Amino acid sequence: MTQYAIVTDVNRCVGCLACSVACKALNGVPVGNFWNKTLRIGPNPKYEGAQWPDVDMYFLTVQCQHCEDPECVKVCPTQASHKLEDGTVQIDKAKCIGCQFCVMSCPYGVRYLNEEERVVEKCTLCEQKISQGELPACVAQCGGRARFFGDLEQGIENFEAPYTVDITEGDPSYDKTVNNRIKLKDIVRDYSDDQVHMLTNVGNNPSFRYIVRKHIWRGEE
Amino acid sequence: MELQWPLILFTTFVAASCGLFAAQGVYALKGEAKEAQMPALWTSFVLLVVGGIAVFFHLQHWERIFNGFGHITSGITQELIAIVVLVVVMIVCFAQLRRESEMTKGVAWCAIVFSAVLVIVAGHSYMMPSRPTWDSFFGPLSLLGAAAAFGPGLFAAIASAKGAELGDALTGKVALVGTAANAVLTCCYVAVMAVAGGSFTQVGYSFDPTHPNKALQDAAAYGPFAGGAAWSTTIAIVAALAALAVAIVARKKGNWKVMGAAIAVLAFAGAIALRVTFYLTGGSVFMYY
Repeated sequence: MTQYAIVTDVNRCVGCLACSVACKALNGVPVGNFWNKTLRIGPNPKYEGAQWPDVDMYFLTVQCQHCEDPECVKVCPTQASHKLEDGTVQIDKAKCIGCQFCVMSCPYGVRYLNEEERVVEKCTLCEQKISQGELPACVAQCGGRARFFGDLEQGIENFEAPYTVDITEGDPSYDKTVNNRIKLKDIVRDYSDDQVHMLTNVGNNPSFRYIVRKHIWRGEE
Repeated sequence: MELQWPLILFTTFVAASCGLFAAQGVYALKGEAKEAQMPALWTSFVLLVVGGIAVFFHLQHWERIFNGFGHITSGITQELIAIVVLVVVMIVCFAQLRRESEMTKGVAWCAIVFSAVLVIVAGHSYMMPSRPTWDSFFGPLSLLGAAAAFGPGLFAAIASAKGAELGDALTGKVALVGTAANAVLTCCYVAVMAVAGGSFTQVGYSFDPTHPNKALQDAAAYGPFAGGAAWSTTIAIVAALAALAVAIVARKKGNWKVMGAAIAVLAFAGAIALRVTFYLTGGSVFMYY
């Protein structure tokens, strides 16, 4: 079974907010709503009583985690929130009655009521793009090449990010630009299993992963 | 999270309706206060309708309610099923009261059981792992406590107003047990909420560039006695204890018309206040977004 997800190498993220802006621009996210947000975690002391420069800080991109066992899907009375075969959690707006129980049941607060359409919305993992083999906007536009998209079942080392196109060779077309990719294992620094984290898991089993070396991962899993 | 008044009113009115209908069932089993059966049935039905109307104000697209409605794992679907079952029991009860002026024991038991089931189901809908203060069975139990206090109080008041003879032993006992259960369960749920504060994810200092003026998230702010919720928690506890005190006094002195109404008002106010605390303490486990 496929479970599409995003892996973020937190050590590569510079907090440029390009992912957040790209998401807003591509998906027409209403003012005040954020399908993808970049939080700064820290500066926190590295150990008890530590003073600067012994502090650490990182940026954390948060959006719908397209959980394996999503609570939002369980509580939806009309199955407007549902899970697709590619593992993503989607909302059928025509079925949404706007009860917002999905908003309450989401541990990460990443669902928003669209005040104009009066339905709940959230990150779709750019389903309109990934279903055509493209990358989600937040991955495609990542300024630090810190975000990688792929199928969790295939291992995060095979997740992909866009890569430089050498226009001096071959075909410098749009298609080549869009399809030129690099795998996570070929670009990120070494990491161990205990450096791969997820957001707080309360039984929903979030699919997204965060690679954090050097820094101390804040928050339970 | 923000107060969801339609949901607060819905759950409280459902508890009130079920409490009254169940109390009616208890009196029917004992064969007392038959004159109050029909007015009590109408009152509980009206309370249920008011709750139902209130909840529609929460729905953004109520006209789509049957657009695929029926996902059984959803608390809303379960509530609807429980409401339909209870309304059927009410209709059967209505038919029996019209025909024979009393309901059968089977229907009386159904009134008690299905009322309790609806209250539990309505409370259970909010048990979500994402919200530490909500994810406790004391949530639905506290709602059941409110029903247990409200129902006997209002039934006694209606019966007195209708001139029915109330056996002080039964009325006093039911009111005392109901209000005592409400007081205990209210206090227990508040204690559970206070302890649940330790389940929030803490990340130390954080900053959200889209809300630069937002204060740091603090799990302590989601406590039932923290600044925002202290007033409603206090009202909930005081009202529950006051209802118990009134039941104790009424058991000795009677005057159920006034005392019963006072118990019902206090139980209702306490339930509303506890639901306000419920929302004010209802932060998500990862509260930084």
